[in-house]
Amino acid sequence: MRILSAAGLAFVLAFALTTTHTDGQATRPARIDGKPNLNGVWQAMNTANWDLLAHDVKPAVAQPGVYANHPVLAAPVVALGSVGIVPPGPGVVEGNEIPYTPEAAAKKRENAEHWLDRDPEVRCYMPGTPRAMYMPYPFQITQSGSKMQMVFAYANASRTIYLQQAPEPPADMWMGHSVGRWEGNTLVVDVANFNDRTWLSRAGDFHSDALKVVERFTPITADALHYEVTLTDPNVYTRPWKMSMVLYRRLENDAMLMDFRCIELVEETFLGHLRKNPLVKHYEGDTIILDVTRRVPEGDKRYER
Amino acid sequence: MRTRARVFAVIAAFAAATILVSAQTPSKAPRTPWGAPDLQGLWDTNTLVPLERNPQYGNRAQMTEDEHARALAELQQRNQRPGRDSREVAGKSGVGTEKDVARAYNEFWFGDKPTKLSYRTSMIIDPANGRMPPSTPEATKRIADKREFLAALLQGTSGGRPGPISPRRKESSPDYNLDRINRADGPEDRGGPERCLGDNLPVTMGTGTFGGVMQVVQAPDSVSVYYDVGQGQGFAWVIPITNRPHLPKNIQLYRGDAVGHWDGDTLVVDVTNFSDETNFRGSRQNLHLIQRFRRLDANTLQVEFTAEDSTTWTRPWTAVQELERADDKTTVVLEGGCHEGNYGLMGMLLNTRAAEKAFAEGKGPDPATQDNATGGGDN
Repeated sequence: MRILSAAGLAFVLAFALTTTHTDGQATRPARIDGKPNLNGVWQAMNTANWDLLAHDVKPAVAQPGVYANHPVLAAPVVALGSVGIVPPGPGVVEGNEIPYTPEAAAKKRENAEHWLDRDPEVRCYMPGTPRAMYMPYPFQITQSGSKMQMVFAYANASRTIYLQQAPEPPADMWMGHSVGRWEGNTLVVDVANFNDRTWLSRAGDFHSDALKVVERFTPITADALHYEVTLTDPNVYTRPWKMSMVLYRRLENDAMLMDFRCIELVEETFLGHLRKNPLVKHYEGDTIILDVTRRVPEGDKRYER
Repeated sequence: MRTRARVFAVIAAFAAATILVSAQTPSKAPRTPWGAPDLQGLWDTNTLVPLERNPQYGNRAQMTEDEHARALAELQQRNQRPGRDSREVAGKSGVGTEKDVARAYNEFWFGDKPTKLSYRTSMIIDPANGRMPPSTPEATKRIADKREFLAALLQGTSGGRPGPISPRRKESSPDYNLDRINRADGPEDRGGPERCLGDNLPVTMGTGTFGGVMQVVQAPDSVSVYYDVGQGQGFAWVIPITNRPHLPKNIQLYRGDAVGHWDGDTLVVDVTNFSDETNFRGSRQNLHLIQRFRRLDANTLQVEFTAEDSTTWTRPWTAVQELERADDKTTVVLEGGCHEGNYGLMGMLLNTRAAEKAFAEGKGPDPATQDNATGGGDN
């Protein structure tokens, strides 16, 4: 006969007391195995992935306009109109300042200028930690006593947070190596063993392979987490700095991860010039010479609708 | 990635411990704190079972003691043979041959030969003969059409049938190509693994270093699987425990739409909505998988799948594997970084464009006359 542990029995009781069914969706117990229950699908609702600092609305890819301080949409996104812009946001960084060293600050500015060519997100690469947490797409947490698995819709990226028996990682990783512990209701995760390839935003924010990240997940309600991140990297920043935001539980009955596969969709962007018969007709080496002909069909011109 | 330092003595001790535990607590699979069967851990296998049964066993799913002893002796003898590092081809030194040069990996990467042999004569348990059911006429034609296209692209090269360069080199592949074909006009001509589209469901864990490890993390509403398989082609697969219906038929997902539920102590996962970007033994977007995961004892996870596709097979078929619990301390799953490190795909396209340029300038052979598809590997 199976013997329930005291904790197990407490859990089963808690589950029985708090589980109800509404619209076919099981509501979760607030705690699991004595810890806050983080199971489910989550998503940030902010603009941190575009820019961590406070920012105004701006073109995703800009060219100088008539006024020096009012750039306009540039060729790669010009036909997209309002879909080709960066949404404004109040920023997520404490003090609204990332303490780059002078050299690193120059590199960040340069990164921002060359965003399309340098951002690993554009190439469908793994987003790294913490960027994965605040990309504008859902991720799913599967929480057990010994490990927590986070799987991100974007690029099928994932990370394992070891809560017990963390092994020594044999190599550096895009998503880092995560070791977590509970401090009361807060999940604290130390992340290290990064490579230097991931970014923190589309604004060119970067780090080196010396990056150390400490994440703190604290439930505000059953469906919202305060998420605070401290980043330390003496190669790039003059001091540790913090960002914080709220992660929200996706409450739809059908909240789920669907394949967000971008590998074959970025092939045209990065390998199109190597086709025997390129689909874009004007390449010089890997430089796309855009000669865009975009006819608006009869009946769809602005004054006709 | 499997830690290479594993030694036979440890395995033997492990196996002995398994028997001991089984004897003490028969059919007592560990449970989670919320009372579900606990599927968690790192799972792999060092036990050899072929997918399809050698016809010599007929309808017998298990070997006799004698047969097992003989087969195990053969396996051990086979393991004694020099590996790829001997660089022997048909008993002669293969050093410097095309095969030797094209070889991407030496013996180090292919180490950890299987040391154990299951009594199972095949992973396939249904049909009763342990072999895949016959293909439908439609699938037979589809596969033959593709094979003919592959042959046409090799025609007139050292690795193909004789004949002139085929006009079919200008055609698109009759299917969404995932094979290694003798053309590199664009990324779509390269094989699935070369584009990092290599691994898909269902995964059968193999033996050896490339055999892979499966990590399972479990909660009441989801079971999160990470398959560390292939060469950096590992992937995450979240199985939601839910009674929601499948997605609309027009949604085609690379790894399908998984819906899981518990049937007693078995996790049953129904997977539909596959896309034509995967190929499971000839089955493409019409694949329907039913996977079953069951913890047999402290050290064994049974994984079973039934594959169904009336456009490909004349009947559904079922295969089963018993996976062994791996040690958390010596086994680590690594993130799959195939796409992130895929300089090879770019290199293959660059090379081919350069060869075309050289040919146009009279400095090299016509790339269409060269075999760039059958070299290397074990063929």
